Amino acid sequence: MSTITISNLHKRYGSVAAVDGVTLEIPTSSVFGILGPNGAGKTTIFKCMLNLAQPNAGAIRYEGRPLSAPLFERIAYVPERSVLYDWMTIAEHLEMNRRAYATFDSGRAGELLEQFNVDRRKRARALSKGMRTAAMVAFAFARNAEVLILDEPTGGLDPVNQRHVLSLMINEAARGNSVIFSSHQIGQVERAAERIAIVDRGRLVLEGLVDDLKADRKIVEGIFPDTRFRLDGIADDARVARTDRTERIVRLLVTAGADEIAQRLSGTGATAVRVLDLNLEDIFLYAVSPATATTDVIAEERVL
Amino acid sequence: MNYVEWLRVRNLLRIVAIILGVLLVLAVVLRISVARYTTPAHWISQIEGQPDVKVQHVTLPDGTKRTIVDHPAQGTHVVVDDRGYAGTHIVVTEPTKSHHENDNFSVGSVSVSESKHGSVKTTVIDTNGAVPMIYYMALADLVALIVATMLAAPFAREADGHLEVALTKPIPRARYAMEAIAADVAGIIVASLLTIAALYICQLLFESPRLDFSGVNARAIAIGIACPLAWYALVCAATTWMHRAFGAVLGFAWPVAILVGVLAAIHPRNVVGLFIHDVAWVLSRFNPISYVTFPNEPTSAAFFASDPTFLPRLAVMLLMFVVYSGLAMVKWQRMEA
Repeated sequence: MSTITISNLHKRYGSVAAVDGVTLEIPTSSVFGILGPNGAGKTTIFKCMLNLAQPNAGAIRYEGRPLSAPLFERIAYVPERSVLYDWMTIAEHLEMNRRAYATFDSGRAGELLEQFNVDRRKRARALSKGMRTAAMVAFAFARNAEVLILDEPTGGLDPVNQRHVLSLMINEAARGNSVIFSSHQIGQVERAAERIAIVDRGRLVLEGLVDDLKADRKIVEGIFPDTRFRLDGIADDARVARTDRTERIVRLLVTAGADEIAQRLSGTGATAVRVLDLNLEDIFLYAVSPATATTDVIAEERVL
Repeated sequence: MNYVEWLRVRNLLRIVAIILGVLLVLAVVLRISVARYTTPAHWISQIEGQPDVKVQHVTLPDGTKRTIVDHPAQGTHVVVDDRGYAGTHIVVTEPTKSHHENDNFSVGSVSVSESKHGSVKTTVIDTNGAVPMIYYMALADLVALIVATMLAAPFAREADGHLEVALTKPIPRARYAMEAIAADVAGIIVASLLTIAALYICQLLFESPRLDFSGVNARAIAIGIACPLAWYALVCAATTWMHRAFGAVLGFAWPVAILVGVLAAIHPRNVVGLFIHDVAWVLSRFNPISYVTFPNEPTSAAFFASDPTFLPRLAVMLLMFVVYSGLAMVKWQRMEA
């Protein structure tokens, strides 16, 4: 299964658009991270991908084919919350998976459960949140699936097990499989994902290779002597994606030509002008938080 | 086989087996407690002690222990044939002043027939007669209905936080649903069989059971299987369509069914009461339990001849099972996580 294609996906719950025209292509042999604030639509995208929720519009195709029941043999899913049966033991869950999936490797599942210190004799209700997540992750990675869809797969895990899950994801991609996951821990996404998509309020706001996104985007920061200053049209430059202002400090998010923009900013009277690299957290925050200062700065510039 | 549903069934059957096991233990205790009363020897020895009573003991060629008790003063003559586990045949001849005519009745395996000739009454008591299967089915059906109610939320239970597991298996939803229903149906039938087996063992503790499968008993078996299955499907459809409140549906299923059944059965004289009765009667037509009736008849009557309504009632129950199961599956197909 090489590629998953999501085309113009729409999903509404009543009057709320949970997913609003998302289009994505998820390549094989990669770890693909989906980032977004709470309620952004990440889980709904996953559910639509798995036919757990019926899209209002759009299409999802696996190697060009729509999802059908037999394809679930090749897709493993770890939901955001525990879906283990409280009254069943972990050993019974293992048996359930063994019976359900021809490619399930019981031995591998046993190894992973041991690595995560999950006691298979215990009932699911007796496990902590982290242990439940670990059990679900262990079962998913023992499936030998070609596509792993993991919704917050490190939720509740301790740092050691979180790192272990990230390693498993990277290993799966190295084996030629596709891993799509969401996480609120941007550091984890930065560590594991090659590509990311950022969704906000159901819309795709940014998508690309993590390295490209970081290389293209810079912050140009300048400090003015007082709060009355002019930007001489810099904020309107097509390369300036966003302008933020805090008192005398102006920060410009630029997508290209950072040095040139920095020179122009110096020309407006700003001191201590510098060009900063962005990490993924910066990219994420700029993508999903409203540009609070842009209007003010531009408006003030016009007034002044 | 739907493994999760099978585990649910297995766990419930385990509880049923434990309860029936406790009943068996109680039966064993009872058997030991009444051991000395279960043979005629006990009361014959008491009679022997009375004055003017003559008692003769004879062993017949087939091993039967015959005891003949004569009480000339009272004009009573008793012949007791004790065949051990094969039962006891007792003939009591005694004078009577009653004008009561002949009478026949049976309780379980004991049949009693009384006949009067002039001023002499003859009572023939036979133990270890054939037990009508309808007695067994009555209890088995009750257990099966309880088990059916407890199992009747396979899809609602999946919808209660497990759809991500159930709906991402590499089989079509319809097949998943049919496998779940099949597991539950098997569980209901096994619960019924377990109850019959327990009753049989209980009876075996006291006598060698012989079961009567003829006439109404055969029909009771058919209804006894169809009714719990149709009831299961009805409750299953209700829990699936109201899956967010499936616990309440399970809890109120019996009280509502009983209330509707009672309201449908009574015939009030006032207009409001009649209206309620009519509504309840219509509602009761959707409940398979309302089709369980057995007209009074000899147990040896022919299978169909004596009850022309049997086949239509059985067909309605089977149809209910199919339709209600289908309704549950329609909702299951449309469920979203």
